[in-house]
Amino acid sequence: MITTIGFGLLAALLVGSALYVVRATNLVHSVLGLGVTLSITALLYALLEANFVAGVQVLLYVGGVVTLMIFGVMVTRRHDGIVVRSDSANEVRGLLGGGGIFVLLALSILESDLPSSPVGPAPSTASLASELLGPHVVAFEALSMLLLAAIVGAIVIARRRDFGEPRQDLVTRARAAREALRVEALRAEAEAPSPEPAASDAAEPPRADEALPSTDGSVPAQEASS
Amino acid sequence: MTLTTCLLLASALFSVGVYGLLTRQQLVAVLVSVELMANAANIVLVAFSHFTASPLGQVFTLFALAITVAEVAVGLALALLLYRTHASSRLDAAKEMNG
Amino acid sequence: MSALLRGFVYGLLVVNAVLLTSAVNIWFERKFSARMQSRVGPTRVGPLGLLQPFADVAKLMSKEDTVPASGNRVLFTAAPLLATVCALAAAAVVPFTPDVVAADLDVGVLWVLAVGSITTIAIFMAGWASNNKFALLGGMRSIAQAVSYEVPLVLSAMVPVVLSGTMSLSGIVTWQSEHLWIAAWPLIPGLPAFVIFFLAMTAEANRIPFDIPEAESELVAGVTTEYSGMKFALFYVGEYAHTLVGSAIASALFLGGWSGPMAATMPWLGLVYMVVKTLFLFFMITWVRWSLVRFRSDQLLAICWKWLVPISVGLVLVAALWVELVPGVH
Repeated sequence: MITTIGFGLLAALLVGSALYVVRATNLVHSVLGLGVTLSITALLYALLEANFVAGVQVLLYVGGVVTLMIFGVMVTRRHDGIVVRSDSANEVRGLLGGGGIFVLLALSILESDLPSSPVGPAPSTASLASELLGPHVVAFEALSMLLLAAIVGAIVIARRRDFGEPRQDLVTRARAAREALRVEALRAEAEAPSPEPAASDAAEPPRADEALPSTDGSVPAQEASS
Repeated sequence: MTLTTCLLLASALFSVGVYGLLTRQQLVAVLVSVELMANAANIVLVAFSHFTASPLGQVFTLFALAITVAEVAVGLALALLLYRTHASSRLDAAKEMNG
Repeated sequence: MSALLRGFVYGLLVVNAVLLTSAVNIWFERKFSARMQSRVGPTRVGPLGLLQPFADVAKLMSKEDTVPASGNRVLFTAAPLLATVCALAAAAVVPFTPDVVAADLDVGVLWVLAVGSITTIAIFMAGWASNNKFALLGGMRSIAQAVSYEVPLVLSAMVPVVLSGTMSLSGIVTWQSEHLWIAAWPLIPGLPAFVIFFLAMTAEANRIPFDIPEAESELVAGVTTEYSGMKFALFYVGEYAHTLVGSAIASALFLGGWSGPMAATMPWLGLVYMVVKTLFLFFMITWVRWSLVRFRSDQLLAICWKWLVPISVGLVLVAALWVELVPGVH
């Protein structure tokens, strides 16, 4: 009885929060909504007597994935929240796709002959462990290699491309660039009082500036795409 | 709570994820929708594990969880790269390869 | 139904005990820090100023409850609640005596770690909903810190799990009462794991020297900049509760919890041992807080990734070898 009520409540909350996640116009709200959805899923797992999976779900998904996503939102945009809107053509496409898949899945689920109650006692955490580290230990080890590869790959993809020159920290570089500019300006002032060379020297500084990694993330590729 | 209702719930969640995947344009929002779909798949695995009284479903859920974390890490790195090269995190900003 | 009632009674007791102890600890910390700095500390309210925390609460309750006009009201209100609830929820699995434990989950250690990881989201929510650059900086730092320190926290908590072969906190304490404490006997994995767990736990609770998210001398008050009245008090109490519950869990995981001389014959003595160990760890954190200065943000992350993570990975390996090679561990 309590299980049924709990399941109904969780199901309603789960679908409601998932709808909020895909409809929210603010990306930060959407990601936090995802955190709520994943926490409710953990409760559902607890209801299905999968305590260990529920714990891992909260630890990895809510504590890890959602945190990472918030980090991703914050580093790719300014902090006043991102407005995400979808145009109406997309809306139709989404409703057709989502609705179609739901109808298809629901029909096939209702067709099949499924058990309505568990056929035995719920598997214990210990049996889960012996299954995981017994027959599936190779997959388990392969997974650790996958995680390592993914993390290294993520770092390679995300890191700034500044090959071919000695690595310096930002402050040193900025100071060096500023010093170069100053020397350039002094030399221009001392050597040639006539306006002609000074103008050509004034065109020099931007190149020194470009050596700096752009801290605000704005990159000239915009012209290329337009 | 029967296996049928669990599966219906999971397919509802999956469809919501598909809806988000098809409507969203922001790369991080697309990743969020993919998370919803992966979550729905995990619910199916755990439900089957519960109703067949076998730990196998939970084992696969644990694998799926770990793989999702890897996927999010790479996806966010791609989002960062997209933002850095196109000054936008919208997916349709990256269309140089369009014919 | 009796399980529900039992959970309710235990929950009420544990939450009130933790909150009351937090309040007394705030008084103790003020007195203690005052003594360390050759001051007297609070003396006016009650004998020795003992009622000072309650006066503070009364003052905070009477303050205006402000919400930044351009902030996000819902998240702004939810954040302190979430932070406090997460800190208190971990107390559910703490074994106080062999019989007194609110919920003896078979995945108790995982529950503690999972609930603790949500606190990050609460702190970020507070920082973002405030719409204040200092608060947001605090929130971002908090995420970077929590994501990093979660790794050594989980790994060092795995050492007692591997040694005792169970994830239930009361199971781990029972194992320790049969063997010597984990921090005392398997000296090579035990003691360093305890130190790392303790450091990472201090970092998770955002206490000095790891209080980067607040860092009042550089970020005004970090995530709590915009908070006033009871919402601020909730954050404050949540931090103390997190520290206190963390100390209780560290003493259960590594210091033998309720076990000690004569504890088997007199269960109430177990409660005394548990409380004494917890308060001792809490006192250590206070001591460190008033002795050391705050780390810089990059130093904080460097300590974690260059020292704590590799060492704790090695400790888990050593613990597994210990189980394999030393007879009679399980």
